Amino acid sequence: MLWLYLHFPNLQLDALLSQAQGEEIAPLVILDQHSHNIVQLSAKAAATGITLNMGLGTAAALAQDLQVVPYVPRITEDKLHEIAEVLYLSTSDISFFAPQGLLLRIHNMLRLYGDLSSYWQVLKNQLAPLKLTYHYATGHSPLAANILAKKGWNTISDDLELLRRTIAQCQLSETDIAPKTQQQLMRVGVRNVQDLLRISFADMAKRFDISLVNYLGRLSGEFKHPIEFYHPPEVFKRYMELLFDVDNSQFLQGPLGHVLKVLEQFLKLRDRLTQSLIIQFYQRDHEHIEWTVGSQQGEYLASRWHALIAIKLEQLKLDSAVYAISLTTGKTQIRSPDKGDLFSAKKGSLSRLQLVSLLQAKLGEQAVVSPAINNDFRPEHAASYHSPAVAKELNHDMSPMLQAMRPSFLLSPPQPLREKVTVLYGPERLNTGWWDSRPVIRDYYIAHNEQGQWYWVFKGPDGDWHLHGVFS
Amino acid sequence: MNPILEHLKNKNLIWQANHTSQMACANSTGFRELDTHLQGGFPQSGVMDIDSPIGIGELRLLLPDLLTRQQNGDRLLVFIAPPMHINSEMLAEFGFELQRVLVLQAASSKQALWCAEQCLASGCCYGVVLWQQDIAVNQVKRLQLAADKGDALLTLLRQQKQVHMALPVSLALRLRALPQGLHIEVTKRKGGWPSAAFTVNMGDSWPELNSLPMADNILHFPARHYQTA
Repeated sequence: MLWLYLHFPNLQLDALLSQAQGEEIAPLVILDQHSHNIVQLSAKAAATGITLNMGLGTAAALAQDLQVVPYVPRITEDKLHEIAEVLYLSTSDISFFAPQGLLLRIHNMLRLYGDLSSYWQVLKNQLAPLKLTYHYATGHSPLAANILAKKGWNTISDDLELLRRTIAQCQLSETDIAPKTQQQLMRVGVRNVQDLLRISFADMAKRFDISLVNYLGRLSGEFKHPIEFYHPPEVFKRYMELLFDVDNSQFLQGPLGHVLKVLEQFLKLRDRLTQSLIIQFYQRDHEHIEWTVGSQQGEYLASRWHALIAIKLEQLKLDSAVYAISLTTGKTQIRSPDKGDLFSAKKGSLSRLQLVSLLQAKLGEQAVVSPAINNDFRPEHAASYHSPAVAKELNHDMSPMLQAMRPSFLLSPPQPLREKVTVLYGPERLNTGWWDSRPVIRDYYIAHNEQGQWYWVFKGPDGDWHLHGVFS
Repeated sequence: MNPILEHLKNKNLIWQANHTSQMACANSTGFRELDTHLQGGFPQSGVMDIDSPIGIGELRLLLPDLLTRQQNGDRLLVFIAPPMHINSEMLAEFGFELQRVLVLQAASSKQALWCAEQCLASGCCYGVVLWQQDIAVNQVKRLQLAADKGDALLTLLRQQKQVHMALPVSLALRLRALPQGLHIEVTKRKGGWPSAAFTVNMGDSWPELNSLPMADNILHFPARHYQTA
């Protein structure tokens, strides 16, 4: 059995700095809000003399332009999931060690990659683009790897003898044994792990509590260590804290582009498309704004989503500065290849559904419609607009009776007729709708006025004339 | 050849009479008189500017051509910013497949132009009909480029109030109502000579919308003609 442990001490800081992309920024520290101590710090902050666990007052005195960000456990957790997602491409068994570590079972992967060094090379290449600080170590048991990585051993080896020797030399303070138990052990002269492992488990169980025995058993690999492995998620969900507060909606394009790239990778690996993205903008002093951006056809390409989102961003009005965004996919579907004709010389680059999505993003969904026919004799009910998807079904599943001589435009509602017209055709009597609240009794005529415009007029039961349509 | 002439010709600044053959690809409009005067029919792609009051038959003049184009492919027809509710019964009765018709209700003329450009350039629309009163030369040029890119025909329907500037369109028509149909004047045709005004008889395809006196041998129902105020 061989295990690899990756320890990430600076996850929240790394998540923030990855947005900076090499730009110069002020010294940055992450502050634990309960103890008011610094828990993570950037290289620039370290250069000014700030150290870990330093109080905020001292740190602020050392660096004038110090930027302080509170520690949010959720960001670390999200980032850890993100790393696991990347590593899953090369490793099948990954487990989370809260809050800052990942455990990989690697002995079963070695057959695929040949030997340990080439496998480690693959892992290193995968981690490189994430720009993370990390410590690593292999171990003969999960806990051994854990202790060595946290210690910063940074060695990859499958020499069990070497691993056992190194773990034996570890001090008690480097293990996860409770401080109280550590003190008890010190008093009886146990100083490092080697001393501890010399004592038999039976003797130890008599004098110390059972959790120590369990811990040691797992450390030496004699007891089984139950581990729950990671399964990649079905739905893409990403929360991103911005490096700076943004109050101009156009500046949101940059960070959104980042997330969309990750989304593209996510969907591409699963060979899936998504038809909608749910984007949330968290505002500093107001409720968050939630958006749904739709694409009728389903897309995975970041560039396509970017174009749709850019149109919507033009209309975004922010009440106060945005400090974080999150992006979630709606339903995903398996991608099916386009069955376009290779030889028909097609010009232009969009498909029909892509065009509809683009127009809907600009005009709003209710402004992009398709005409449809309902099975009704009343002209205003028969002719209606529906969204393209609905109209397709409506028109598909029935073939209504069509009336001859209908105008091209309808006035809604019909207007009283105020001009002198000459009636040329008619009447056509409609007496229907008595079963619902909008009955219609009308005699329709085709008429034209003195300018030569063709009107569709009707006379109601009380003798008043209305203009209902125009033959354009 | 004279070097100056050659230079001008290379820069495409000289129009030559033998260029007219480029206009060969045209579609029949469905009206014989119009076909003759346009030497074949409406252009395959580009921008067409029609100056007409609403309700005299301007849309009916376009429909046969738009229908043939719809039947020849699987692309979309888009109506942008129509002045009133477009009657789907009329479209269906005329033979249009309604799934492949889109109506866009733009809030402003700027939005309408944006939509027209996107639809034209997308390559999935064969025709766009746009109701737009005012349009500038540079906007027409953009639309023209988009129409050529997407192989689509944009028809601009508007009623001009004053004498207009010449727009860089492929074809410009002026329509006026007549009892038997439409009086048409071709005000501009790319690569062609202006022709005399002519009349299109719409009575053949729309017999009811024809106010010429009926033939004598038709027996009228007694109360055929109504006069109303």
